[in-house]
Amino acid sequence: MSNRITGSMLTNSTLNDINSALASLQRSSAELSSGKTILEPSDNPYGASRAIDLQSQLDGLESYTSSVKDGLAWTQTTSGAMASISSVTQRVRELLLQASNGTNSPADLKNIATEVGQLTESIKQDANTQYAGQYVFSGTLTSTPPYAQGEGAADEYKGNTTPLARSIGPGSTVTISSNLSSVLGNGAESGDGKLLNVLRTIQQHLNEGTTESRAALNSTDLSALGTSMDALSELQSENGSATDQLQLVSSRIEALQGSIEAGLSSTIDTDVAKTTIEYSNQQAAYEAALRAGANIVQESLLNFLH
Amino acid sequence: MSIPTLQGLQTALSGLLAEQQALDVAGHNIANANTEGYSRQTVVMETNQAIAVPSLSAITGEGAQLGTGVTVETYTRIRNAYLDAQYRTQNSALSGAATQAEALEQAQSAFNEPTSTGIASQLSNFWSAWNSLADAPTSEAAKEGVVSAGQRLASAFNQLSAQLQTISGQVSQQYEARTGESGEVAQYAHQIAQLNEQIKLSEQAGQPPNDMLDRRDLLLDKLSTLANVTVTQQANGEDTVSFGDAAKPLVEGTTVNWPQTLSAAAGGQLGALLALNGPAGGLTSFQNELDAVAASVAASVNELHTATPFFTGTTAGTLAVAVKASEVQTSSTEAPGGNDIALAIAALRGGTADQGYSGLIGSVGSKVQGAKNEQANLQTTLTAIGNQRQSVSGVSLDEEMTNLITFQRGYQASARTLTTMDEMLETLIEHTGRAGL
Repeated sequence: MSNRITGSMLTNSTLNDINSALASLQRSSAELSSGKTILEPSDNPYGASRAIDLQSQLDGLESYTSSVKDGLAWTQTTSGAMASISSVTQRVRELLLQASNGTNSPADLKNIATEVGQLTESIKQDANTQYAGQYVFSGTLTSTPPYAQGEGAADEYKGNTTPLARSIGPGSTVTISSNLSSVLGNGAESGDGKLLNVLRTIQQHLNEGTTESRAALNSTDLSALGTSMDALSELQSENGSATDQLQLVSSRIEALQGSIEAGLSSTIDTDVAKTTIEYSNQQAAYEAALRAGANIVQESLLNFLH
Repeated sequence: MSIPTLQGLQTALSGLLAEQQALDVAGHNIANANTEGYSRQTVVMETNQAIAVPSLSAITGEGAQLGTGVTVETYTRIRNAYLDAQYRTQNSALSGAATQAEALEQAQSAFNEPTSTGIASQLSNFWSAWNSLADAPTSEAAKEGVVSAGQRLASAFNQLSAQLQTISGQVSQQYEARTGESGEVAQYAHQIAQLNEQIKLSEQAGQPPNDMLDRRDLLLDKLSTLANVTVTQQANGEDTVSFGDAAKPLVEGTTVNWPQTLSAAAGGQLGALLALNGPAGGLTSFQNELDAVAASVAASVNELHTATPFFTGTTAGTLAVAVKASEVQTSSTEAPGGNDIALAIAALRGGTADQGYSGLIGSVGSKVQGAKNEQANLQTTLTAIGNQRQSVSGVSLDEEMTNLITFQRGYQASARTLTTMDEMLETLIEHTGRAGL
């Protein structure tokens, strides 16, 4: 029974074969022209879902990159401001040593006191450094200058101590702010022994010019200034390590971007060499199916009867 | 010795007539070689009643029977009912799978993934916008960015949800159209009932209604596209047709029982259409999972955005941004440089919502892939069964050509017999009995 082959069987199977040959040809052609192997999720459900995850990771890395750049600019700004404060403090120390050698007249001491006052003002100005319109040493109160400036202005710190953070990776952040108020303090009224307090005390001792005052310049004031300078350099090194961390993260993100892009590409991009070879195979198969169909379907006993 | 003198002529005539009818049937087959649902027919020939010659041999006195030619008993169609049943089962399964695959593919293209415009990239942009805000917490532009990214995300959810609703609505409409009063089910059922009546009458008259049987079988094939069909043939030639999981037979003799209630278990296109929108159906699950992702986005953002809810709505269709740029909360404190909330929301990237969505795309892909594979497999099986049916019932032109030659030669030979008989009788009539004249 099953040996009986009828014309419609032949045409049906020939048509089916030609259709499926054409379908695979069309598929390869779409993969080649779009450059993607996953045109729809059903082409590779796991791959499609993975491609979405990888793309989101890549987008994430892009936004971390801009955060890291922003953070680096911030820490470099704070670093510059603190370096300036450090050199000003160094100058105060030199003046202090100069004042305490006992050959200075009271007028000389008053001149030095004036210079110390100016230097103090310049430290406050450095503390009021801004980055992109935001005060970098105010904690999160970035629109408030940390120290009031000008003649007779108070030395009280106006910011807060909340650290500022930038995201550098999924769920991880780095602190970019430096708590400069822990070094500068709140000035003479507070008596907290921090840098501004120390500078105001030095200024006062210089202006007084008494024997006790002169003695203090050389002993308690010098050592207090030293303590503040130590605290400042500690803060500088903390800031330096934040900068290092950001630079490290930046290069790690670049490496990650490379490997995720490679993963994404191997998931969704067409292997052009392989697909091109498949394409020419399919083309040959399609032509063969057409040729066979054209020849077989035509033949029948009718061609041979007279 | 009592054989009628002209018997030979009758015998030759019976041959002529039979061969002619066989040629007619071959002609009918050739004419219908490409008719849908046609089964080839053959002539069933039988020998005529023999003439008994009681004492043929004058010596032994033994008798014999003399054959008197051929008669055509009937025309039969060559058809295998078992293959028909198999074909219809597979046909229902295939059209069900094809309907599923088509609707799910439509849904899949509504998702528009993986592209740079789908929900995945809108989600990603939304998280990036929060990260930019965390870098510049005082920037109005960054706040605008967050709000507009949120609005684009919400509208992507809204649009996709609406598209899924539309597809689901079309599926219901298709079901209504096919099962309605002038739908395909009703049309086929009434035609089958009419044919039942005509076939019964022909059978009663003792005339096998081959072509009507073919037409009825073709209608049953078409009916099996819509739902599972079980056919029970009655003794009087009528078919009783069970349809899907309907309570009563669709066609019982000349009675049509329609409309009836079907369920997803009906099979075929109708079963698939019901299943797609059913509680466990593909479209329903896509919509539910999409709603879950939208709810998860809203809930996770709102939980962190404590001052006012950032999003309203808990489904994909209703998700909307509820805040203006000025109400975007970047920090839990009043401090302008604070960014803890923005950081926390940006850190939601890759969280439940993202995973839920990429999981949904994976499951959409798997469902469509599964439906397409099932369709392809069933197509192969159906083609094989269809070919088996064709092998049994289809018209082979080569075979019919051979038959034409066979019957033509048979006709020529019968005619020659007639000529021979005629010549024999001529001898008898014209050339004998002249002796006495």
